[in-house]
Amino acid sequence: MKRISIDPITRLEGHGKIEIFLADDGSVANCYFQVPELRGFEKFVEGMPAEEVPRVVSRICGV
Amino acid sequence: MAKLKLASYWAAACGGCDTAILDIHEKILDLAAAADILFWPIALDFKYQDVEAMPDGHLDVTLFHGAVRNSENEHLARLLRAKSKVLVAFGTCAHLGGIPGLANLFDRRQIFQRVYHTSPSTVNSDGIEPQTRTTVPEGELTLPEFYDTVRPLDHIVEVEYYVPGCPPTPKQIWNVVQAIVSGQLPPKGSVVGASDKTQCDECPREKHEKKITGFKRIATAQPEQETCYLEQGFLCVGPVTRGGCDTRCQLSGVACRGCYGPPPGVIDQGAKAISAIASVIEAKNEAEVERIIAEIPDPLRSFNRFGIPGSLLVRKNL
Repeated sequence: MKRISIDPITRLEGHGKIEIFLADDGSVANCYFQVPELRGFEKFVEGMPAEEVPRVVSRICGV
Repeated sequence: MAKLKLASYWAAACGGCDTAILDIHEKILDLAAAADILFWPIALDFKYQDVEAMPDGHLDVTLFHGAVRNSENEHLARLLRAKSKVLVAFGTCAHLGGIPGLANLFDRRQIFQRVYHTSPSTVNSDGIEPQTRTTVPEGELTLPEFYDTVRPLDHIVEVEYYVPGCPPTPKQIWNVVQAIVSGQLPPKGSVVGASDKTQCDECPREKHEKKITGFKRIATAQPEQETCYLEQGFLCVGPVTRGGCDTRCQLSGVACRGCYGPPPGVIDQGAKAISAIASVIEAKNEAEVERIIAEIPDPLRSFNRFGIPGSLLVRKNL
């Protein structure tokens, strides 16, 4: 099965890749979008003074 | 003169550094006149395979943003090191670990548990977690390995220069661009695009003798807007932070959080912050010292907001 990898996807904020699998006749058999990125904000803001959180989570996306 | 070959890459980052580059506004045209940009995921459609196909040392300068959080970040750090004559750790995450480095107070298991299982917005009844390899009917899919420990760029590869800031200011970015284009770069290992003074040296707030008898939070107290935050009892790490940002935060009504990293001569910003704060606490006895210290909100993350991975601590013990 032929495979087309688009890695990375570009011109957006963040990391992503796309894997396209082609059947023998060239039609798309399946396609997968993956996000190879995690930083863990959900965890590391725990217990932080509330007033500090906006200045930290603004770094989730700076675009 | 041949045009310079540049690259700009983000590892564990937010895109704020790339956006700050665009914030040099129309000067981006001058940059485009002086340099060809051969890899820049936020703005141009080059792929990893395009970088892999370059001969070693093909790129004159790579601006590397973001911390090294997973195996893909590490692979790109090593790849871009090989392809670049000059590798710049650009922005606080690449310089010191930055905000993603706060994750070094936890480990992979704790982070996965929260993100993929217990967070209130997570629906994952099958308990699925990302796998580095997943077999699907059509073949195999891969994801990077998520590390326990976030690293700054120079823990992984050799780095020529550091540009601090979360993000670096556009004015300083333009200074760095001019230095690169003119070839007038300082000795290897230098911090560029910043000053050699501290935040306090550059902060316009009025300063008097500091005698701190208690700490306040901006959530529950209103700082007076002319006087030094620290004197008023609001924790500010300006005394132990490199200048060069035009004291943006202090002029915006909030104390310095330290994103420009330690000033020259300071090895560990957080340790120096503890030392600096301790020296201005005004107490008559030990009990009073204890009371004042207990009022410091979230001391570990307040003293090391942006630099745990690049500090002497690196991380909490596993």
